[in-house]
Amino acid sequence: MSTTETVASTIKAHILAEFLPGTPSEELDNSYDLIDNGVVDSLGLLRLISWVEQRFHVPLDEVELSPDDFRSIDAIGHFVEASTRS
Amino acid sequence: MRATEQQRELRAGIQAIGPAIEAGHIARDHSGTFSETGWKLLAETGLFGLPFDEESGGLGQDLVTTLYVLEGLGESCRDGGLNFSVSTHMVSAGVPLQRFGSAGLKARYLPGICAGTTIGAHAITEPEGGSDIMRMRTTAVADGDDFILNGTKAFVSNGPIADVIVVYARTGKPENPAGLTAFLVETDSPGLTRGNPIEKMGLRTSPLCELFLDDVRVPRRNVIGSVGAGFLVLDHVMKREILCSFVINVGEMRNRLERCVEYARTRTQFGAHIGSYQSLANKIVEMKIDVETSAKWIFDTAEKLAEGEDVSIDIAITKLITSEANVRTALSAIQVFGGYGYTAEYGLEKELRNAVAGTIYSGTTEIQKQRISTLIGLHRAVKPTKA
Repeated sequence: MSTTETVASTIKAHILAEFLPGTPSEELDNSYDLIDNGVVDSLGLLRLISWVEQRFHVPLDEVELSPDDFRSIDAIGHFVEASTRS
Repeated sequence: MRATEQQRELRAGIQAIGPAIEAGHIARDHSGTFSETGWKLLAETGLFGLPFDEESGGLGQDLVTTLYVLEGLGESCRDGGLNFSVSTHMVSAGVPLQRFGSAGLKARYLPGICAGTTIGAHAITEPEGGSDIMRMRTTAVADGDDFILNGTKAFVSNGPIADVIVVYARTGKPENPAGLTAFLVETDSPGLTRGNPIEKMGLRTSPLCELFLDDVRVPRRNVIGSVGAGFLVLDHVMKREILCSFVINVGEMRNRLERCVEYARTRTQFGAHIGSYQSLANKIVEMKIDVETSAKWIFDTAEKLAEGEDVSIDIAITKLITSEANVRTALSAIQVFGGYGYTAEYGLEKELRNAVAGTIYSGTTEIQKQRISTLIGLHRAVKPTKA
């Protein structure tokens, strides 16, 4: 499994546990819009951002932040990779 | 917290001019007058630029140092409205610019904010709803290189004296966390009008008004952060607003406590100092516990925030504890001073009126409890299982 796949898999597990308990993994597509579909609300977005910061050591004070980076598992994965790339 | 020598010096610099800043505060409260003299004195100290980059005219201090100095302001200046205007100015406009502003926005506005010559405010609450920001009705519609803002904002602290206001408006669907955007709006923009200053129960020396936006054209370059990032900007601001505003209250509580101790040690009734009576002594002890508990929560939360930890619950607890402690200690001080405490002359009844505001602005006590209950998982919504 590549690093990208590992990151996506970690994010997906977190989304399922925290926001979609009981949902089978295969039912959540990596491109599914978590914000527009109401899975992640305003407080949820803050919790998600904080989790990303802690889990992947993203220096949030030094990067541009946009909700678009947290719309889907794919988007979060891209954000993590771009933010932690040295 | 254990302050360094430099932190103590910065705080001492503010405290030295406290008496000059607060002079006439009871009369100003009565008339509801903002102290321009106090503002200028504070501006000369560099206080307004404390947490901002030196290249923008600030002093480049960290969050904990900023809080420590602001606590000193609260401890030495009893003009609670002016103190509130100071934190509003620094946090509502300066903080979002520093973190999210483009280089151009920072260069244009931060030096004036640091110098106190450009007064800042922000406009969030609307007449139809205060805490429910995700359903705000003020809209911003893209039009070429500009956005057109329309709507009404309520309870804009510093509104009547502000030169720039950070306006939060909806650029997307209601309830969508990607649907808000923050705009820096100059108050002389065509279509922007301010209502008359609103008379209120407390914080009467901090001016407040409504804001009306009628086809206000704002350049796209005045977006703070990116389009749709307004909620993240607001969250960043609110955490610091709570810490900065309520650490000033901690300072005010310290001042109040010191006066109560002094009074209880000198006021004699029935042949003994009133502090020797256990029922009154306990009241002052409870004030001491309230002050120290509030201080610990604020500085502990600030340190965690500075280290990048999730402080969502801590912030809500800090706000709730400190604002309620401020009301309790203000009421206790009136009891300690008895009839004198009830008169306007001693300024204690004013402090109680001011303290009540703290249980309302930046999210009411009830909203903080709601946030905490949600964050510990008591209100987790059942989401659609088919994703």
